Amino acid sequence: MSSPLKPQTDNWWDVPVHWDEKVWIGISVFWALVLFGWMTAWGSIGNQTQEGPTYQVSPNAFQTKIDSFKARAEETDRGFRPAGSDVYIAGMRYGFDGLPVVLKAGKEYDFHLSSYDVQHGFGVRPNDALSKQMTLQLLPGYEWVLPMTFDEPGTYHVVCNEFCGVGHRTMHAKFIVEK
Amino acid sequence: MDPSTTAPRSGLLGLFDNPYDEEGFRTCSVTGLNIHRSVENYVKLFGLTAVVALLVGGIAAIFVAMTRWELVSLTSAPDFYNWLSVHAWNLLIFWMVFMEIGILYVGGPMVLGRKLPTPSLAKTGWIVMLGSAVWINVELFTTSAPDSAPLLTSYAPLPSSAGFYLGTIVFILGTIIAALPFLISIWQEKTEHPNRSLPLVSFGAFITAIVALEALIGGLITYVPTYLWRIGIVEHIDAAWYRQMYWIIGHGSQQINLLAMITVWYFLTHVVGGAEVVSEKVSRTAFILYLFFINMGAAHHLMADPALATVWKEWNTSYAVYGAVIASMIHAFAIPAGLEAGRRKRGQGKGLFSWLMSAPWKDPVFSSVIFGIILFGFLGGITGVIMGQMQLNLTWHNTFATVGHFHATVVLGTTITFMGLVYFVIRLLFRRKLFLKPLAQLQPYFYAGTMSLTTLMMLYLGILYGIPRRHPSVTDIPGTEFDFAAAEPLFWVFGVAAILAITGGALFILVAVGSLLFGEPTDPSSLVPAVEPVEDDDTSLHAQSVRGTFTLTLVFLAVFVVTYVLNWYLLSRLWHIG
Repeated sequence: MSSPLKPQTDNWWDVPVHWDEKVWIGISVFWALVLFGWMTAWGSIGNQTQEGPTYQVSPNAFQTKIDSFKARAEETDRGFRPAGSDVYIAGMRYGFDGLPVVLKAGKEYDFHLSSYDVQHGFGVRPNDALSKQMTLQLLPGYEWVLPMTFDEPGTYHVVCNEFCGVGHRTMHAKFIVEK
Repeated sequence: MDPSTTAPRSGLLGLFDNPYDEEGFRTCSVTGLNIHRSVENYVKLFGLTAVVALLVGGIAAIFVAMTRWELVSLTSAPDFYNWLSVHAWNLLIFWMVFMEIGILYVGGPMVLGRKLPTPSLAKTGWIVMLGSAVWINVELFTTSAPDSAPLLTSYAPLPSSAGFYLGTIVFILGTIIAALPFLISIWQEKTEHPNRSLPLVSFGAFITAIVALEALIGGLITYVPTYLWRIGIVEHIDAAWYRQMYWIIGHGSQQINLLAMITVWYFLTHVVGGAEVVSEKVSRTAFILYLFFINMGAAHHLMADPALATVWKEWNTSYAVYGAVIASMIHAFAIPAGLEAGRRKRGQGKGLFSWLMSAPWKDPVFSSVIFGIILFGFLGGITGVIMGQMQLNLTWHNTFATVGHFHATVVLGTTITFMGLVYFVIRLLFRRKLFLKPLAQLQPYFYAGTMSLTTLMMLYLGILYGIPRRHPSVTDIPGTEFDFAAAEPLFWVFGVAAILAITGGALFILVAVGSLLFGEPTDPSSLVPAVEPVEDDDTSLHAQSVRGTFTLTLVFLAVFVVTYVLNWYLLSRLWHIG
């Protein structure tokens, strides 16, 4: 053993390592492999992996897409009922353009996510189950297309959780999932 | 009291008046280190400046925590964001970085028994750092529309004041200047003694400095173009580019904290607990792993981002970063094992944990360091790995749990460790008795306990209630019927714990400043037992059991596995994504 304050002059590399420490290093390497393996495997065996194509898009071009999405959708008093399986949402200070929408439970929708101005957050949870929540980052200049399927009907609440200015806390929206 | 060891108080409260020989050296009666005046004075200067930043950031903590506890709702939204920025910059940056320059000077010239090379650079660095820190604080306090409070991240294209970006560039340059004397001292040492290895503490400080320079260069790559964009010379700034560049320094600066803290753990467990290095090879290899892999840790900020491929995310946060996770797990074993083996060798414990129970728990240096080690590992390390898993990050990103994670690392780990280091510096470098000693002994327990509770509440509020970070109100949201009022009971616990934790931080300032003003000058060997010299002995290690450490690390692993499984369970309850 040696002092951490003294220069080492002997060949410290060849000093044998304590057995317990070797076992611990082995456990650590194994655990790291488990962490890596499970995360990678979840892409195949799990239902939640935030994987989808991203396209560069100017805020103006994305606004045109949103306008077209709204024009094609059926407008109800609860929100836009998309014509197809695409949903377009843009964060803007301080709201979400494209929301609210009315979706069908069990149907897969492609969410097209972007921002008109600054960075925003897309934090979603069912109104009655706050622990079931997730967040995606919305960036101006990028359109992220991510498929999502909601099996449980209900109202889902959207919170901006990336700081976007003094009105940040008021930036909320919702969408509805019907049977 | 031996008059030769206590200098009379003269200018500057006698804080810089230790007795030195003709060449400016003195031998520390506790550590046996040969300390030069130039090194000691700059360590004191940077340490004192850090404590001032801690005070400013701590005052801001009152406004931040008491706004988030909506029963109090202390400030309005704009003021909240300004206070939050002041809180972040003073505690995450200024308190840490000023301490870390001091730690480099301890780990380099002080441990090596050398003069501080080019003290003029240290002085210039300190002046530039202090000036820009004050400047940044002024910018933070006076932020107003159309600029937004930068918080820590100043995410473009949301603009902050031009002076803020420029002040940050100057602070980065000042820090690089202040780090140069350390690097020169390492270069001098290796030139004079090419065939001997640096002491482990110096080696750790050297790796810290390299990681720090990488982070600081990342900072220049980020802030110079952002400043040019802010003043109109560059027309467009890309949000994805900014995020990726920013996190080189944004997380890199926190990795400086990690490495500096671990270096301090090796140093202080040795000098106040009798720890020895059980394997130079293993501990140094762990530092090398950090050198190559810890930077990838920054990628976990980008897991919920568009514009980055899944393969990029998986490679950086898992395959590569686990090189750093393994390094942390190695240190988590090596440091307590060094304490256990060192104390057993001296006959200070025969049972499984008696080496630990018999340790100097009344010494606030020792208790601070041990709390730092345990809490960093159990709360900071585990949460960091979990939120760094690509899919799990979906449920952590930008929630209050993220804030919980970095309070576990930066406060429960680094700040508590650095408080222990300040107590150590007060006694061994300023050579003062601790003021209000019973309070000083109590402070690490009180602070670690209350701050842990505060941090746990942040984690629970974020994960179990999805409370967003950076919101001044969540139980009453203008313009919507929806709210997070279900979380109010936990906010009660959070609010009370935060008040107590801030009180614990104030006690630290009281003891530290009180000791310097009123503490009795004394020879430190009357306060701390001298460090017994370590005989380099290859065989003695295997005569010592480290079973206690092995047991503790298995407990740690069990907590890690259970927390990991619970987080995947929570994620699996979500709808189909991707």
